[in-house]
Amino acid sequence: MIVYQCEDSMESIFTAIYRAYEEKSRPEDTKVSLTDELLLFAESVPVETDMEKAQKVARTLRKTFGEDDYFRICMALASSDPEKGQAVYRTIALGLRNRCRAGHLFDDLADEHIQHAFSLARGASREYDHLRGFLRFQEMDEDRILYAKIGPKNNIMEFLMSHFADRFPGENFMIYDENRDLVGIHPTERQRRKREDVPWMEGVVQAPWQDEVTWYLLQCEGDLEQFSELKLSDRELAYQELFTYFCHKIAIRERRNLELQRNMLPLRFREYMTEFQREVSRMKC
Amino acid sequence: MSLMEKLGVLTDAAKYDVACTSSGVDRRGDGHSTGNAVSCGICHSFSSDGRCISLLKILLTNECIYDCKYCINRCSNDVPRATFTPEEVCTLTLEFYRRNYIEGLFLSSGILENPTFTMELICRTVWLLRNRYYFNGYIHVKAIPGADSEVIRRTGFLVDRMSVNLELPTAEGLKLLAPNKHRKNILTPMRQIQNGIQESRNELVLYRNAPRFVSGGQSTQMIIGATGENDHQLLEVAQSLYQKFELKRVFYSAFVNVNEDKDLPALPGGPPLLREHRLYQADWLLRFYGFQAEELLDEKRPFFNVMLDPKEDWAIRHLEQFPVEINRAPYERLLRIPGIGVKSARRIVAARRSGSLGFEHLKKLGVVMKRAVYFITCNGKMMYPTKLEEDYIVRNLTCDKDRIRFGSDGMTYRQMSLFDDARFQRQVTPQERFQAAVGQF
Repeated sequence: MIVYQCEDSMESIFTAIYRAYEEKSRPEDTKVSLTDELLLFAESVPVETDMEKAQKVARTLRKTFGEDDYFRICMALASSDPEKGQAVYRTIALGLRNRCRAGHLFDDLADEHIQHAFSLARGASREYDHLRGFLRFQEMDEDRILYAKIGPKNNIMEFLMSHFADRFPGENFMIYDENRDLVGIHPTERQRRKREDVPWMEGVVQAPWQDEVTWYLLQCEGDLEQFSELKLSDRELAYQELFTYFCHKIAIRERRNLELQRNMLPLRFREYMTEFQREVSRMKC
Repeated sequence: MSLMEKLGVLTDAAKYDVACTSSGVDRRGDGHSTGNAVSCGICHSFSSDGRCISLLKILLTNECIYDCKYCINRCSNDVPRATFTPEEVCTLTLEFYRRNYIEGLFLSSGILENPTFTMELICRTVWLLRNRYYFNGYIHVKAIPGADSEVIRRTGFLVDRMSVNLELPTAEGLKLLAPNKHRKNILTPMRQIQNGIQESRNELVLYRNAPRFVSGGQSTQMIIGATGENDHQLLEVAQSLYQKFELKRVFYSAFVNVNEDKDLPALPGGPPLLREHRLYQADWLLRFYGFQAEELLDEKRPFFNVMLDPKEDWAIRHLEQFPVEINRAPYERLLRIPGIGVKSARRIVAARRSGSLGFEHLKKLGVVMKRAVYFITCNGKMMYPTKLEEDYIVRNLTCDKDRIRFGSDGMTYRQMSLFDDARFQRQVTPQERFQAAVGQF
């Protein structure tokens, strides 16, 4: 039994998978683990992240299994389950052994590993779908920067960033993941050109999986005072109030159904959402 | 009037329109203008009635020259009236969109002056939004029946979805409640949009950059329960709209009595929400499950079953086609089993290629076993000894308490409880009683 011990990142897990193939280990006797726990009678191999190897694995996966299944694999790796590395590794191993055609990697859901990876991917992409809608930007006084705070269960920042970067090419925006102290930053093209003028962009490393670099990820070390100092712009409060009023007005009283609302919009998202923060009763209705 | 008050009045006036979907179009951002569109649509919030808020749903104006009896904006009603300027609509849309409050704009309007004038106003607003404010998100507008076809055509090239409200399913109902609207006037723009979409599709085959006309398809809505139509008539109308007009969606809106008019029914129990729900269920069966309206309802049984959903109801009446063998039945047969949806049927078809499926797998594939269990076999066996008998199945499907007690193989739908009373049937022996009293030695 060989245990590859890697960090909780896509790059690291892909490196482990690369090494498992390089060393021709049998999938049944191999484990990709994210924890430090030692197994009896197992050989532990710490994995050092190697960008080049990870890129190679990503390219192979993309080519053999197609974009859709590659997206699912990425989603599964974005989840917070500690067993995700193992599930994804076994799924990929099975797929390569059975020579799966593109788009058919997750077909055999009767297999426990494939099923596990599939359900992890489904959970993460469901949260991604939710947050694409439920995330709320606030306009800051400085440069009309848009700022959003989220607290997702899965690490879906990269997906959110590429969605919003596509949607708002002309906005300076940033998203802050409370649970991971992770910040995604998207400067406009103009800002990107005069990079040296922007103090917070020093030392930002470019995220590895993008085709064209339009946004950056920044791992913060508990030093987020900069954000709390940012002030809302003058118009921001007015628009928050307008939208809250709109949400209140659009509801039909005769159809009131709070349970349905709660099913569709779980409470854990609401603490970050503008329209549930502001008191409706305060305003004239 | 402040912007806030205007928004309040015109939202209030627009809220009875059902369609709030942002689906049907996949459009990546173009790199400079604001916005993109995702084909599955995105819900941005949910209001306290549980309906999704996806688009900024407003009227351009709630002034109206028509006097439709069911409508809150009828000209004889004394309600506050307001009108947005096109610029106000554009700024609101863009500022809401930037903050990720909405997915786009849903613009409808009362009839100002005449239909063509109103349509022209809508067209100008949308044109501004696209060409001056560079908005690339989702736009859904109403086509006003009776408006000049040229204006409708121009608008169609700017928006993602257009809809013409059918309002009431029969011409008689329309005559009674909406004396200014005529069925012919409603169907004409519908046909025009259908042809426009078809033409645009043909052109896109030839020229990749040809302008797209209403690329998200068109939809319509019907009011349920304001006139005397039965479910069978409604479903027939919906089916013919799907087949003859190639609509993307038909929406059903349970009638909410906002005006006390002598021609309107009194609804002491509130809007007919269950009826609306059953119609949506049947609508899905028509669009994705290969059912025909005649299979679900007919002249003799014109209303849906209150207790069972339309698919269960159909299955109960066609027990001769069950049980279905999961490992061998074609996809179309799988779709007709209660408890199996489009996704789980697809997953079954994909998964059984690599090995036969058992009941323990089905649950993981997303099959709702408490409904499916009466209708399926895996490798020739049923999960539990159940009877293929109408009364028995109906009783079990409708009554939660009477559900069959399942065996001791660990697969059960009963809620786990501290006192597992199902297994508590054996008599307690004297020896055990003694041990319980004095402890084990």
